[in-house]
Amino acid sequence: MIDFTLSPELTLLQSTARELARDRLAAVERRLEADRDVGDELRRLFDEVGLARVELPEALGGAELGALARAVVLEELGAGDPGAALALDPLGPAAYVVQELGGSEALTALAKPILAEPGARALLVHDHRPRFHESGGTVQGQFPWVPADRVDLLVVLEMERAYVVREGIHLEPVRGAGLRAAGASELRLDGAPIVESWVSTPATLQAHARGRLYVASLLVGVLRRAYEYSRDYALERVAFGRPIAHHQSLAFLIADMATAVDGCRMLVHEAAWRLDQGDPAVEACAGAFVECCEQAMFVTPNALQLLGGHGFMLDHPVEKFMRDARALTLLLGGVDAAREESGRDLGERDGPVALTLGESSWT
Amino acid sequence: MDLRPDDATRERLAQARTLGRELIRPVGLEADRLGRPTPPDHPFFEQLVRLGLGRTRWTGEPPKKRAAVVGNARGMLCVAEELSYWDRGVAVSFPGPGLGEPPLLSMGTDEQRERFLTPFRGSDRPRWGSFAMTEPGAGSDVAGIRASARRDGDTWILDGDKSFAANASRADWIVVWVTVDASLGREGHRAFVVEQGTPGLGGFHVERKMGLKAYESTSFTLRECRVPAANLIGGEEHYARRAGFKGAMQSFNATRPTIAAMAVGIGRSALDEAAAFAREAGVLRDVRVRDRLERVRRRLRVARLLCWRAAWLADHRQPNVMEASMSKAFAPTAAFEAASLGMELLGMEGGRGDHLIEKLFRDVKAMDIVEGTGQIQRLLMARKLVGLPRDPA
Repeated sequence: MIDFTLSPELTLLQSTARELARDRLAAVERRLEADRDVGDELRRLFDEVGLARVELPEALGGAELGALARAVVLEELGAGDPGAALALDPLGPAAYVVQELGGSEALTALAKPILAEPGARALLVHDHRPRFHESGGTVQGQFPWVPADRVDLLVVLEMERAYVVREGIHLEPVRGAGLRAAGASELRLDGAPIVESWVSTPATLQAHARGRLYVASLLVGVLRRAYEYSRDYALERVAFGRPIAHHQSLAFLIADMATAVDGCRMLVHEAAWRLDQGDPAVEACAGAFVECCEQAMFVTPNALQLLGGHGFMLDHPVEKFMRDARALTLLLGGVDAAREESGRDLGERDGPVALTLGESSWT
Repeated sequence: MDLRPDDATRERLAQARTLGRELIRPVGLEADRLGRPTPPDHPFFEQLVRLGLGRTRWTGEPPKKRAAVVGNARGMLCVAEELSYWDRGVAVSFPGPGLGEPPLLSMGTDEQRERFLTPFRGSDRPRWGSFAMTEPGAGSDVAGIRASARRDGDTWILDGDKSFAANASRADWIVVWVTVDASLGREGHRAFVVEQGTPGLGGFHVERKMGLKAYESTSFTLRECRVPAANLIGGEEHYARRAGFKGAMQSFNATRPTIAAMAVGIGRSALDEAAAFAREAGVLRDVRVRDRLERVRRRLRVARLLCWRAAWLADHRQPNVMEASMSKAFAPTAAFEAASLGMELLGMEGGRGDHLIEKLFRDVKAMDIVEGTGQIQRLLMARKLVGLPRDPA
């Protein structure tokens, strides 16, 4: 029966992640942003706790707790600093692509060296333009921005295939619109040899879906923090004789922001639950991503608005929430590509539209 | 975590769907075409009674004995959504104690439950209960009701006007909210069961509505209406213990996610019709059309999850004021978007005024008004979220 209970294991994981994100990321978010890196100490700490490994297979030291556990952890890290969250996850969503297309052995082989070297990172890009061109087993091309200053393993996801390169990766630092704690570079491939390559449409769709859910989970965290931060400010700031949160126009706005955050989280959890059940989830993951992107541009600008002029200044982190959120929505093909996936079945199917998995078989 | 209704609920959903397709939808279209509520002697109601519908939830035991048991708000909410998919107006017209039931269950004495709910345990004929709070001058501002009650020996004398009470003219009794002292605000509120035929109860006027025509929204008057003291719900002791307003708000509270789920049902209906129309018109794969359908489905999915969560909390006796209001604030707007998009896709076909989507477009707007407008829901949420004062200076 319909039940939203998180298991005790997940609740514990959530509070661990929440504490770490608050004390070790959010507390120093401006420094992380300026440093464009999380530093060795944080990397060591997060590696010990193992938050980046909750979903990984045991062969890689993972806990195999599933997609919902990952979503819960990523929300917390996103609420801390989403750029740092990317930097502290050596494999990130690149692991999904290798796992879905190449299988567990390929994942183990490619991921082990990354996990063994502190600071090493695998990066996933979705090349749907396309920007990279292959000739004779090597790749040329340029990608305008990746949230990284170091890439040891690049996984390129196309519509029907994916490939991996390890050499010939050149990074040119750029300022970065957001997510700066992860670094920010223009990425160029110059005769980069393809190490592995796989072709499978269903697997690329599934991998892409899981990647989108990853980003969506981070977005939920950013949105929640933006909502909470601006709500707390609105309770302290007095104008016209009362806290601005007690002016009805702002009280209603705050209520709508809370609703937006909860709605995003519910779609993310629903999609993750589907993945954990082994049920079809491509549409649900894409839908969760789109919802998070749309609500990101409702919640974060309004969070800033609640602070008025102070929101525009760097003394408060709300301007960062807005930039980080916008930057996240650009990843893995962005929102329009996700909208395409989220609505694809609507253009193809006949009969009633299902909101919930398996609905057509209920009645 | 589990995001699927259980087998028992799915079975009830299947029944609701059959009932919806075969009976509810046609009766709803008929009422809309004729522009009047389905009359109480319509064979449809007899059919429902024969199917065992229109009964009370009351089992004959004092409800407190069941308080520890996990409730089934989730199951009832799922069924409400499905019935509304076929026709929300017809679903409200169903025989049964209706919104009068929650106050009797939560506040009533054993004797009162016995007297007023027992007839709803059998199935001799269609019977209705009704609930009247709203007045011509007091809608969202529930504390502002003016209908009055004054004690006279063993009876109370009620005076006032009530509006928009569902099924009131056909009801065996109406739970009527009045005040013993308007200056006391909500502290002065009392709920009485006023039985049909009581002298002074009259002036029934079935309102004409934009949509949801299948059930009657009725205004009536109380003029020197004498009601036995035994009909004061919960008895005088109850009001000495608790504010009358709270009782009323509790009964709203239990209903909010269900009303929100009904909006999801209407929205889902509009989405299905819109997609079917777009398919036939050959524009379903048009990116501009599909993207908007995608958004509508996504918003309805959010709405359903918000409803489910509020009901899940209620089932586990967890405080759910915030979550219930959130679902009620959100779902009607998502459903409206669905119906409005449907009209847009229909284009001039929608302008004719005889398409199901056009009916849904009229029906759905009420969902953002009944059981607390979207604005009232935001007020309730803001009280929880930022401690919004009740009466800002």
